[in-house]
Amino acid sequence: MSIARRATLLCALALGWSLPARTQTLPSEPLALADGRVTISGDVSASFGSDDTGFFNYTDYEHSTLRLFRVDLATAVKMNAHFTLLGEVRSENIGPVRAYALYLRIRPWTTHAIDIQAGRVPPTFGAFARRIYANDNVLIGYPLAYQYLTSLRADALPLNADELLVMRGRGWLSSYSLGDPAPANGLALASAFRWDTGAQVHAASDFVDATISVTTGTLSNPLFTDDNSGRQLAGRVSTHPLPGLIVGASAARGPFVTAAAARDAVGAGRVGEFTQTAWGGDVEYSRDYYLVRAETVWSLWKVPEVSAPVIDAPLRALATYVEGRYKVLPGLYAAARVDHLGFSEITGSRGPRTWDAPVTRIEIGGGYSIQRNLLLKMSWQHNVRDGGRVTRLNLGAAQIVYWF
Amino acid sequence: MEPQRSQRSRSPRPDRQYLAIDSCFFVSIVIVVVLIFVAPSIAVRGSAPARAGTIRGRVELRRAAAPAERRPNVADLGAPSALRDISDRLRSVVYLESAPRRAFDEVEPGHAVLDQRDERFVPHVLAITTGTIVDFPNSDHIYHNVFSLSKTRSFDLGRYAAGRSKPVKFDRPGVVRVFCDIHSHMNAFILVFSHPFFSLTDTEGRYRIDNVPPGTYSVIGWNEGVSSEPKPVTVPEGSEAELDFTLR
Repeated sequence: MSIARRATLLCALALGWSLPARTQTLPSEPLALADGRVTISGDVSASFGSDDTGFFNYTDYEHSTLRLFRVDLATAVKMNAHFTLLGEVRSENIGPVRAYALYLRIRPWTTHAIDIQAGRVPPTFGAFARRIYANDNVLIGYPLAYQYLTSLRADALPLNADELLVMRGRGWLSSYSLGDPAPANGLALASAFRWDTGAQVHAASDFVDATISVTTGTLSNPLFTDDNSGRQLAGRVSTHPLPGLIVGASAARGPFVTAAAARDAVGAGRVGEFTQTAWGGDVEYSRDYYLVRAETVWSLWKVPEVSAPVIDAPLRALATYVEGRYKVLPGLYAAARVDHLGFSEITGSRGPRTWDAPVTRIEIGGGYSIQRNLLLKMSWQHNVRDGGRVTRLNLGAAQIVYWF
Repeated sequence: MEPQRSQRSRSPRPDRQYLAIDSCFFVSIVIVVVLIFVAPSIAVRGSAPARAGTIRGRVELRRAAAPAERRPNVADLGAPSALRDISDRLRSVVYLESAPRRAFDEVEPGHAVLDQRDERFVPHVLAITTGTIVDFPNSDHIYHNVFSLSKTRSFDLGRYAAGRSKPVKFDRPGVVRVFCDIHSHMNAFILVFSHPFFSLTDTEGRYRIDNVPPGTYSVIGWNEGVSSEPKPVTVPEGSEAELDFTLR
């Protein structure tokens, strides 16, 4: 998206803000139709950041979280006390409009907090992936576990350890000799930008929430249609023993390699063996003017052993972040996040080495609410990577967020 | 030494100075006595309090304001609690746009309460005078974070749990929109007046403003951020004036 277009959008937002209340056309509350049975909300964010030459913040080869114009429209159609249809469409950088979420929520008993959701459902695993709106994110960048592209792909596989090690720090555009030969971006540990398709059951009480789901894709590769005949099973339990304290644990397991890539590597019959298994833990505590969150995601991917030097163990990655926010004044807050993503070692021809380049990111920034639903954020990032073309990079970014 | 001489020459003679002080002191005493004992009785007799009147009437809403709905957060793993109550949206505020001058001295600030209950602010509309301290108790078992970015009074009370309350003093007249930072569907209005001539209607729209000194005033009806044009009304001595509004 050109700077001029972004500037036009900013002017439009600013104009809507500065007009007198009676002439203001931008809504500040969700639109309610049919006596509140249909509600529509929106979220528009525009981010402007310095040139990320190291692809630290990219979510694929085209999109960076620091240079993104995103429009979300979400709707809920409440058919009756038992059935609600929910959907969200999203466009990034004025690209095609995609259905981010579309599912039916069924509440069998109105007296019990048990829900069944079927369709393109929200992620069961972890905490951050469900903070989908820009104003839910205290900073502009995303946690590495949910955004950083490792060199691993679902549709292409390395022939051996050396081929994988060559791609260290190049997850934004990796290529392998098995499966799809075209260069493409790798996978994050868990995707925050695409939702999986399937069904989930959620039950809640005053102290504990539990969710279990069956979906077509995996954490790192959510899918709309299945490409490996496998299903992911995911579960999450969270407890909130005190006001402001949430402690959660998650797990997920499912085949992640496409059937085509698996066949290319090991032949037919072993398609479902190459799984992603993930464990996660998260905690959030808030009180008075501060909010602290920490989350860790541990992921293991099984990949085929094709030729020497073989990848003889599951590829492991561990991502952990701690973030905090403190409200300084009404409408003004400061925030910071410390984030690290590490990888297990494999042995190539030149000896053992982590299969991808570990990354550490520190991001500090803050936000100022121009009005209740118009937020301006600024942040500064320091990225360090043990490999790849760019190993150190400082980035600055600003973001404006409007929602209703 | 010359400056000293010059200074002496400008000073009055000591005996005259004492005389001047005595005279000033006597005159001051007389003025004070007159002010304390005589002037008020003259003032009271001069402006014998006219018997106050009442303005009453009804605010008719063509269409009640819809309650703020929850944002359809598609990322929720389950359905949120469904609470919908429009009765608070039927209550309006009627107030004098121009109040009697003396009214501004008679404002007695007090305490008011804006509760957080069942993920709602109760009441949804609060009308107070300047100087009033509003307590914001949390009666829910979950956190709330009350805040306002209104120019009249901006504040952020942070997150606090059930059973706790935080106060805010409202010193300036105006409209204050109050929200919860955690639950975007929670909102309330606080209307702060510098005089006591206002009234919150009941859910039928009926209102009554008492103790209004006789005279002609401009009156405004307000509902959920929508104000009527000022309407003139003459309050007769010791009697009632009727004034209805139609809004929305």
